[in-house]
Amino acid sequence: MKITLLLSLILLLSGCSDKLVRVMPYEKEHFADPKMSLSPLAERAEHEGHIFLIREASAGGDSAYQGGCGCR
Amino acid sequence: MQIIKSFFIGLMLMIPFLKTYASELKDSASFGFDTYTDNNDVEVYSPTFELLKTVSKNWLVGVKLRIDTIAAASIRYSSSPALISPDAQATASKRSGFDDVRYAPTAFVSYDDGENTATVGAYYSTELDYIGKAVFANYTRELNQGNTVVGIGFSQSADTWSPNNNRTLPVDNRDERKIDLSVNQLLSSTASIQLVYSYMYSEGFLASPYPYLIQNGSFIGFENYPDTRTGHAFAIKGLKYIDDANVMNFSYRHYTDDWDIDSHTISAELLHDFNDKWMVGARARYYTQSGSNFAKTLGDYTQSDKYVASDYRMTAFDSYNVGIPVTYKPSLESPYSVSFSVDYYWTSDNDYIQNWFGESNIKAVYTTLRINYDF
Repeated sequence: MKITLLLSLILLLSGCSDKLVRVMPYEKEHFADPKMSLSPLAERAEHEGHIFLIREASAGGDSAYQGGCGCR
Repeated sequence: MQIIKSFFIGLMLMIPFLKTYASELKDSASFGFDTYTDNNDVEVYSPTFELLKTVSKNWLVGVKLRIDTIAAASIRYSSSPALISPDAQATASKRSGFDDVRYAPTAFVSYDDGENTATVGAYYSTELDYIGKAVFANYTRELNQGNTVVGIGFSQSADTWSPNNNRTLPVDNRDERKIDLSVNQLLSSTASIQLVYSYMYSEGFLASPYPYLIQNGSFIGFENYPDTRTGHAFAIKGLKYIDDANVMNFSYRHYTDDWDIDSHTISAELLHDFNDKWMVGARARYYTQSGSNFAKTLGDYTQSDKYVASDYRMTAFDSYNVGIPVTYKPSLESPYSVSFSVDYYWTSDNDYIQNWFGESNIKAVYTTLRINYDF
């Protein structure tokens, strides 16, 4: 059920292009800042993710996408 | 041994942390050194090496090697009863002074055409009594002029136990599957938000072969858990550009599984540019979880129990983490950059920790260091 809801959300986002264009390419300069990342130190994210896995009984909630301006 | 082995279990779930390198297709090499030490005499030192090489405009190959050297000088038993099981005695004698080295190479290929990025790779690790093998893949697609990014990640591991205490396990495999779905949305020119859902499924021998439980002088048994586990995680993360010198990130995650473990994690971090060369941050994290449906209050186990837990992670506890990250880049054009972080982690008091380690809680310090060179 939850997977269905999330997939529906993704499809919704895919089909509502105009509605979700809030930031124009020339307004994205701040997203090019290295600090504007969900894991600003990738090595720390990897190491601590490992530690949290061995010290706690939970996992998940990670994405390959960590940010960036997407304005090449 | 439990703590040592714990460093290797579940590593497959880490694989998605291999970020989508294709978002920045460039050649680079890095050397790193990570450490972990805690009040239970566990010390881990991990040198890492990484090389990324573009092979065309859209393709990149990467290799990475992580070496974990682990030393557990001793495990205290100030409150543990006398060992009465020959198996348990043998296990305990092997735990003292046990050292291990884990070699974990990873190789991957990334593709980036501007709107689509994809990474596929494989991972292998080996140590004395455990072999880990996994494959993983990530895909992200930019939509809405880059305002929206959807992503999917997949990983599958097939690990094998070979316990060095001559214990025969019901099964010797530990297989884990993980699927991540994510949506990233820009909210304004200074803020973005990300939603993530993760599905995780594990099967095989999911406990550690070594920990055991002694209660009132009687050997209850080795740790034993259900042989399957299904978990779900939901996360929301955000980024906020405050001004030219300050950025904040935050996250919340809810985890739940069919062992009835539920957890909540919140974290927040502020990053500050002191000048063009130095960036320093501060962050805090809080974690709380409930116990599994088979973990009992110590003293309530019986030898007829199907499942036995001696690992505090199967019980309710809280943990806290504070840390400082630092990055240095000599100049904007410099190919070199250095990053360093130090964190202090501690748990709430817990009877299982007291029983196994002889300490009321766990206190740990961990650090990371990376020297990166773009060429």
